Amino acid sequence: MHEFSIASGLIEKLLDFAEKNPDKKLVEVRVAIGEFTQIEEEQLRFCYESIISEMPIAGSTLTIEAVLGKVACPHCSYSGPPKYWEGVISGTPIATLECPRCGKAARASEGEECAIRSVRYTQPNEITELTR
Amino acid sequence: MAQQGAVQVTLEASPDEIYDIELEHSLLEANGKLAVENRTLLDKHGITAIDFMGAIGSGKTTLITKLVEKLKDQIGVAVFNGDATTSNDADAIAAQNVPVVQIATINGCHLDANLVGKGLRKIELENLKMIFIENIGNLICPAEFPLGSKARVVVVSVTEGPWMVRKHPHMFLGAQVVVINKIDLAEAMEVSVEQLINDVHALKPDIKVIPTSCKRGAGLDEVTETLLAI
Repeated sequence: MHEFSIASGLIEKLLDFAEKNPDKKLVEVRVAIGEFTQIEEEQLRFCYESIISEMPIAGSTLTIEAVLGKVACPHCSYSGPPKYWEGVISGTPIATLECPRCGKAARASEGEECAIRSVRYTQPNEITELTR
Repeated sequence: MAQQGAVQVTLEASPDEIYDIELEHSLLEANGKLAVENRTLLDKHGITAIDFMGAIGSGKTTLITKLVEKLKDQIGVAVFNGDATTSNDADAIAAQNVPVVQIATINGCHLDANLVGKGLRKIELENLKMIFIENIGNLICPAEFPLGSKARVVVVSVTEGPWMVRKHPHMFLGAQVVVINKIDLAEAMEVSVEQLINDVHALKPDIKVIPTSCKRGAGLDEVTETLLAI
C-alpha cells in the first residue's frame, strides 16, 4: 500500500495550498500517473477520500490522468512508444524497456511521473456593500 | 476599502465559476531529493550502497549474510536491515561483527530514503566501503522509492513459482541485477530457471541475471564480483 504514502504527500501539498489561499475552495485535483510506475488508481483514490474526509479539503475529487510510457534507445536512437509484452499472465500488456527497433536496452523517457498537474477551485466572491 | 458600518456579503460561486491553476508538483520528489542526499553522502565517503528487494522468503537475508562472510575481511561492510517488526534477521547478521542498522517500519511496506538517511547518520561511515540495504519483503511498493543506492538487486527464488517476473514487472525495470535463488530446488518445483531468465530479459535486455543457491554456495562468487564492480 505505497498509495497511502503517495496520497499523504498529495494531501500535504493541497492543505498547504488551502492554507495559503483561505478564500479559495478546492474542488478537484488532477494527478498524472505514468505507465512505468506501479501506482494503483483505485487504491490511490480510496486513500485520498479516506484521509480528507475530516479536512478543509473534504469533498474535493481526485482525477487521475494516465500517462503512456515512451522509451529512448541509446543504441539506435529510437524514440517513441515502448515495446509491449503481450499475452502475459496478468492479461494487460506490460510496457518493457526492450527497444522496439533494435531489441537492445532502452530507457524510459516518459511515463515515470506521479505528479499534481493542476487544481480547480471556486472563489466565493466577496462583495462589500456600503449601507448608511 | 471597507468603511464603518459596511456589511460584507459573501456569495457562493455558481458551478461555472470554477478556476483552474497549473500546479506542477511531483509526489515522488520528496523521497527522490532525500535519495540524492543519501547518495551524495555515500559518494563523499567512497561507499557503494546496494539495495536488495524481493519477496518474503526469497533469500535476501541469506544472500546478504553470505556476502558479508565473503567480504568482511577485505573491506568495511555494513548492513541496513528493513524489517516490519522483528530483529531476527538483523541479529543473525550482527553475529558476524559488522555494523547493522535495524530499520523497523512497523506497518510500512517499504523502506524510504528518509529512513535510510537516518540510518546513515547513526553509524560511523569512515572505513566503510559497502552498505547492503535489505528492503522489506515486498515486490511492489519498494519500486517507487529509491533510497540512494548505486544499484538495486532483486532476489527471486524458484520456490515462488514460475511467474514471479511476469507478475511483478515494475520491480525488475528499475533493477540492475537479478539473483534467481534456490536453483537446487528448481527440479522439485518444476520451475524453469531459463524461463525466468528469459522473462527478465524480455523486460530489460541489459539486466545482469545470476542463478544461485545461497544455501549451497552456487553462484555466490559471481554475485560478489558483480557487486564489487558496481
